[in-house]
Amino acid sequence: MQAPAAGPLEGVTATINAAAVERLAGGEPDWLAERRWRAWEAYERTPIPTTRLEEWRYTDLSRTLDLDALSPAARGPGAISPDAWPPELRQAMREDWDAAGHIVEIDGRVVHADLTPEAAAQGVVLASLREAVRAHPDLLREHLAARAIPPDQGKFSALNAALWTDGTVLFVPRNVTLPLPVRITRWVSDPAAAYFTRTLVIGEDWSTLSVVEEILSPHFDEQAFFLSATEVVAGDNSTTHYASVQRMGLGAFHMALYRSLVGRDARTDSLHVTLGASTARLDLNSELAAPGAHSHILGLYFGSEDQHFDHCTSQNHAAPHATSDLLYKGALDDASGSVFRGIIRVSPGAQRTDAYQTNRNLLLSEEASAHALPNLEIEADDVRCSHGATVGQLEEEALFYLQSRGLSRRRAERLVVRGFLQDVLQRRPPGSVTEKVTRAIEEKLRAH
Amino acid sequence: MSDAPILKTAGLRARVTDEEIEILKGVDLEIRPGEIHAIMGPNGSGKSTLAKVLAGHPGYEVTGGSAFFDGQDLLELETDERARSGVFMAFQYPVAIPGVSIANFLRTALQARLEDGEELDLFDFQDILLERMELLEMSPSFAERAVNDGFSGGEKKRNEILQMAVLEPALAIMDETDSGLDIDALKVVARGVNTLQKERPEMAVLLITHYQRLLNYIQPDFVHVIVDGRIVRSGGPEVALSLEEGGYREYRQLQSTASAA
Repeated sequence: MQAPAAGPLEGVTATINAAAVERLAGGEPDWLAERRWRAWEAYERTPIPTTRLEEWRYTDLSRTLDLDALSPAARGPGAISPDAWPPELRQAMREDWDAAGHIVEIDGRVVHADLTPEAAAQGVVLASLREAVRAHPDLLREHLAARAIPPDQGKFSALNAALWTDGTVLFVPRNVTLPLPVRITRWVSDPAAAYFTRTLVIGEDWSTLSVVEEILSPHFDEQAFFLSATEVVAGDNSTTHYASVQRMGLGAFHMALYRSLVGRDARTDSLHVTLGASTARLDLNSELAAPGAHSHILGLYFGSEDQHFDHCTSQNHAAPHATSDLLYKGALDDASGSVFRGIIRVSPGAQRTDAYQTNRNLLLSEEASAHALPNLEIEADDVRCSHGATVGQLEEEALFYLQSRGLSRRRAERLVVRGFLQDVLQRRPPGSVTEKVTRAIEEKLRAH
Repeated sequence: MSDAPILKTAGLRARVTDEEIEILKGVDLEIRPGEIHAIMGPNGSGKSTLAKVLAGHPGYEVTGGSAFFDGQDLLELETDERARSGVFMAFQYPVAIPGVSIANFLRTALQARLEDGEELDLFDFQDILLERMELLEMSPSFAERAVNDGFSGGEKKRNEILQMAVLEPALAIMDETDSGLDIDALKVVARGVNTLQKERPEMAVLLITHYQRLLNYIQPDFVHVIVDGRIVRSGGPEVALSLEEGGYREYRQLQSTASAA
């Protein structure tokens, strides 16, 4: 395939174009329509990132993403009753139904939303974005594609802000604690379709909330593209847990933008699990926006066949006395490959920053590859920062140790890989997410 | 103790894989069920190589001779098959397996002994593990720690003993288990071996050691001195005592005379 010519209007196709924006913006309130159009302009004038850019060096979009062959998913009607949900989705939801509320998103639109009456009585909002446009316009006006992921952050933040079809908004008011997580389950199924959805999570001061997101799809013969944007706004002294498990089928290209704004003395914990899709790109950013903010980021990936995972993370310390800690671990089997590019940025005023970043890779086959590129950019002088990255293979001595206890070579390898990845899960409280991810890892390990 | 030997090697020769020089140059050894044998030798004599060769370490290859375990040709078996038939080697340097708890590891090891499709009963396993830990005076929380991850030297050796207790081998090879241990840790290891052997008197033990001091705590039935890849003297506990006085010097001389002849 030929690379598109450089310059503006790149990525504008027969179906991804102004008419598509028009279809969505028509009938929407002015503020929102304007926001879409501004995003669309940003999209038009931003070139598609090429491998000449450091952040895209190992993921060649001209070869991995065929925008010309994709059509934005139709917006479709509202609710779909659970009987009509795909069995894979129903299965995933059955495995951990216990929650403060649920959102089910099918093919780019929310088809189900529920929230416990207790949470609703405390002022918690859990709704589809389309519903929230009507019911909570002020909330969206302040936060949607505005503070955490404004459209001018790049080609794909602009694309999502222009063409999002639906998504989730979770709002937890001041002093309210959600005792259980909110579960967002997302399913896409049409080949040659492009899906754009968003998640907006707002925890006001002194609130406590938890979100568990799962992304699923079948395998695709023709590429399906899923571009999701997740904005987390964590108010002062709030506590936010966010876990995302991507288990899409082969043939999918998943691009995830995730950004959290962490307020004064607030704590955000997140877990990002990448297991599925042929190509997965995650742009993960945590903004330590006020003194005392803390961000704890865990990541885990397990590639097989010819999967390609590209993780681009940044821990931005904009305020003093903030801490951040990132640990990303991945195993790569078959001909799969991974990229980890992480940066800790410390602004001039961000004294007494504590920031750590670690990426560890385990290659399980001769053809697997991993690029680990940790980085620091420090403009304050009183900080404690460290970064480290490793790419290694299974240790023969460890395998011999396990074999000498009666484990076959295969079992020994699986146990080492399981332990290597479990190490990440063991750093968070046990629960259904851990169990689910463990099961998904087991599934992959059985194929090893 | 007049049964058939559990382990019998004859003229066993071995070298580091892909290297020319042989380290074992013909080792003859017979161990019967319930016997405790000590193999002592200076650094580089091949004593640790013997342990690794018997366990099936891929870093060594057998170049001649034979080794039979419980009537089977040991050299035909893979490392894991040897383990499942009852060979256990306590490592000199146990390896850390991050993220895998001792309990999980042992459960997997016991599961590996079952036929395909047979499932280890988890409650039975818990009972066995707790009972074994009690026998060895270990705290149950020890089994929840990741295998050897951040362990002290003493803890690593305790972990080896615990595995030995759960896996119940017919032959336990202790590869310089005493190296680098302070006297308290040494006593813990010795007490573990003695306890397990008392409980299962048919278990044979092969102690590989440089020093006599371990033998103050584990009483061997036979002591062999290995020098330059060959056993140059075998006898009772008195052999170890004479080593304590005279060291390995006389054996080295003996060996150099033999090679010169």
